Amino acid sequence: MRKLKALWMRLRVLLAGRSEDGEFDAELESHVAMHVEDGVRAGMSAEEARRQALLRLGGAEQTRQAYRERRTLPWLENLVRDVRYALRGFRRNPVFTITAIATLALGIGASTAVFSVVDRILFRGLPYAHDDRLVSVGLVQSLEKQEFTLGGFFYEWRDNQKPFSSMTFERGVNACDLTEANPVQLQCARVAQTFLPTFGISPELGRNFLPEEDLPNGPKVALISDGLWLSRYNRDPRVLNRTIDLDDHPVRILGVLPKDFEMPRLQPADIVLPAAVDVAMQHTVNSGIGYPMWAFARLKPGVSVAEARAEMEPLYLHTQQWIPAQFREEFRLQIRSIRDRQMQDAYTAAWVLLGAVFAVLLISCANVASLFSARGAARQRELAVRSALGASRGRLIRQTLTEALVLSLAGAAAGCVLAELLLRVFIAIAPTGVPFLAAARLDLRIVLFTVLVSIVCAGLCGITPALERPRATALVARSMKSGTHARLRRVLVAAQIAISVVLLSGGSLLVKSFWNLEQQNLGMKTRGVIAVHVPLSGARYTTTQAYMDFYLRAEAALRRLPGVIAVGISDSLPPDANGWHGGTRLADMFVAGKPSTPAGTGGTVVTRNVTPGYFQVLQIPIVAGQGFTEEERRLSDHPMILSRTLAARLFPEENPVGQHIQQATYNPYFTLSGPVYTVVGVAADVKNAGLAGQDDPEYYTLRRDNADDWSAHAVIVLETTLPVSVVAPWIRTQIAQIDSTAPAEIETLTQTVNRLADRPRFETALLGFFALCGLLMAVIGLYGVIAFMAAQRTQEIGVRMALGATRMDILRLIAGEGVRLIVLGGVVGLGAALAAAQLLKSLLFHVGTHDPVSFIAVTLLLALVALAATLIPARAAMNTDPMNALRVE
Amino acid sequence: MAEKTDVWQGTLALMALKTLQAMGPQHGYGLARRIEQTSGDRLQLNYGTLYPALLKLEQEGFIRSRWGVSENNRKAKFYELSKAGQRRVLKAAAEWEQTTEILARFLSPAHEG
Repeated sequence: MRKLKALWMRLRVLLAGRSEDGEFDAELESHVAMHVEDGVRAGMSAEEARRQALLRLGGAEQTRQAYRERRTLPWLENLVRDVRYALRGFRRNPVFTITAIATLALGIGASTAVFSVVDRILFRGLPYAHDDRLVSVGLVQSLEKQEFTLGGFFYEWRDNQKPFSSMTFERGVNACDLTEANPVQLQCARVAQTFLPTFGISPELGRNFLPEEDLPNGPKVALISDGLWLSRYNRDPRVLNRTIDLDDHPVRILGVLPKDFEMPRLQPADIVLPAAVDVAMQHTVNSGIGYPMWAFARLKPGVSVAEARAEMEPLYLHTQQWIPAQFREEFRLQIRSIRDRQMQDAYTAAWVLLGAVFAVLLISCANVASLFSARGAARQRELAVRSALGASRGRLIRQTLTEALVLSLAGAAAGCVLAELLLRVFIAIAPTGVPFLAAARLDLRIVLFTVLVSIVCAGLCGITPALERPRATALVARSMKSGTHARLRRVLVAAQIAISVVLLSGGSLLVKSFWNLEQQNLGMKTRGVIAVHVPLSGARYTTTQAYMDFYLRAEAALRRLPGVIAVGISDSLPPDANGWHGGTRLADMFVAGKPSTPAGTGGTVVTRNVTPGYFQVLQIPIVAGQGFTEEERRLSDHPMILSRTLAARLFPEENPVGQHIQQATYNPYFTLSGPVYTVVGVAADVKNAGLAGQDDPEYYTLRRDNADDWSAHAVIVLETTLPVSVVAPWIRTQIAQIDSTAPAEIETLTQTVNRLADRPRFETALLGFFALCGLLMAVIGLYGVIAFMAAQRTQEIGVRMALGATRMDILRLIAGEGVRLIVLGGVVGLGAALAAAQLLKSLLFHVGTHDPVSFIAVTLLLALVALAATLIPARAAMNTDPMNALRVE
Repeated sequence: MAEKTDVWQGTLALMALKTLQAMGPQHGYGLARRIEQTSGDRLQLNYGTLYPALLKLEQEGFIRSRWGVSENNRKAKFYELSKAGQRRVLKAAAEWEQTTEILARFLSPAHEG
């Protein structure tokens, strides 16, 4: 406490800044006077007495010094002086200062922002105990690439497996209604009793289900989410054992889930209910394969994912018997970490971004290093002078470090602002598919890390000249040459060029890939097409007849709207392949009078159930035969339209029109009991497997005015000449007149398609941004080094010109140095870029990883920009007036 | 011990505080002479070190200072003990006594047995 008070007093004197030395001088004077008086009284001469007094004092000046040091904080005083000195220096040299701060800000800002994003994807801790031991276990096949399992498999796996310490499952999340006062719709997850223990989750209040509560017809119990506890019960602990009405059934609340609880497949869930699966029924229900479920397991200590897969394989082969023989071949077992399952393909993009950021940070550090090194070389003389005037080595080092620190802190402050801005931009432009991005925050650890890195860069490079014993020659030398510094700077510049070649080529590959993606022909019209989704509540629409009635009335109403040219209804829309859509296999399509395609070959076929207006709205041309007609909707025929690809696949040599096709069904075993379809026409291909996917064959069946053809899967498309902002309110009114509780989701097809391109756009924008940052900084570095070199050689240039060198010679002399660096950096960079491009492979669309156009363009761009950066200072050198140059210093 | 001894580090502050307690307000020179006298002239103070030590005590709030007039009608800066200083003297003196007592036991011949 006393020490703090003393520190504060000393600080106050320092801050006040006014000198109180006068007061101590007076005190000292009175002290000496009294001592002299005593001396004289003891019989000394006045002079002798004064000499004695000063002697006993240990010297007046030394006393003053000791007093002063005690009065304020000398180290702080020095620091303030150093900072002032540094600031003065920066003001004198604004180009250096601005360049250094901008470089640092860019490096720190960009890397912090991106790391904050990527950190959530790559390194985020999952809210489960020892989340690295958790895996997702299940089957995959060509139509479903996210592993799932079925009750018929799960229990056999669970009872016979060895690699896991426990296995559990969830049965998905469904809408459920809280049917008490203030009814709300919630999301209810159904999980096994072992779910929470396996994931290592303990309720923050209450308890998990007991095994006897997870039985069919067991007591109805539930766990509620922290969010629901807050929003509905205001965190009232008496919520425990309260009975709530869920879908008109009384359910008792057993506990509250922790705040950070999330389902392993990231579905939102307000309530967790026991799955209450009847184990005995799993070989009878759902065609004998059991209910669909999603299985998760905790690896035993020391067991890797690969080992678990190897150990589970025989068990899987044993359970394969439950899969109908026709597609047994198509299924395989998949085990992967929960993190992999959650992140999907965000991984590659995240690593690429991280790499790009690292490259930018490297460039920015190299830039700061070469800036400081250049400055250090230029200041050798100043340092020599100060050293000659008595500054100690430590003092000089401290001074240089202060400068580096001041600059780095300024850069860091600017960098933090930039990082925050960038992060906001990222979140704004990011596609919805990037997990956790919206929750990304600036990470303080990484801010600190980047700031430290830059300080170390600046410090090391700034300090070297101060460390070297100032040479006496530096005082007298008329031109300064510091070989090691110059070499270091050249290496740094060449490295920067190399790194920016890597960044630029990666960026240009992505840009070209994105261009290809945007420019491809979708095979359908998207401009002026509006898609209307009406999510109808299953509680109100219980029959297919009800759905049909609603949609037919909606179709008729929308047709009457002004500006609407055509209206069609489908069950799904291309080109998205991730949303719900009908599908079958080529091998399951049987053409009358022809041998069937061998099982397991031919791949998947997309199916759509559409009204005749669908082709009209999307302007999909019928290339053979004819389209569906309005009359056919009222008939009981089963007309079918094939896509061109499917027609070519099924009927390579015959006319497809008039052929009869039947679709196999499995119930559970193979039957051919479905309707016989007649091919009436062939439509042009439409992009139907995502923007980047390989097109799948497709067929259309007619959506007739027959309740059998309708379900909850329906989307209305309409073609209009008016802008969506005008039509949308009319559409809403029309829908509301049919069912006032039905919300209409209205979107233009262009928006839908654009959203599919969000992710590549995001990746391209980010990598492009980094590539340009990198190029900019590399060019600044190159310019700086060449300009500095030219300035240092001003005198030499003067001599050369005086001796008859032409201006061209001078240009060649200076620019030649730059060109050497460009070529060296460029060649190294190209080699690295060709290797690095392999990493981008999965992100590229219709672009080779060694796309010559991209690489040549990058090389040319870099060469041009770098040459310009060299030529500007070289030209300045060329125009040096020899007389002035010789007179320098 | 005829030879004059230097002041040990840290003890100067205690001596100054104790002297101020005994004498009341005193200026720097007077304080220095008094410390020497109290030691029976066995201590030789470097007067230059006294002033930073006094400044430190003042910064820590144990003493106060004000300008006044000396017995010889000379302008001088007088130091006096604050409340905190009074407490400090008692505490430090007790501590010091304990320390010397312990040391004395170590150094006394009886301890060797």
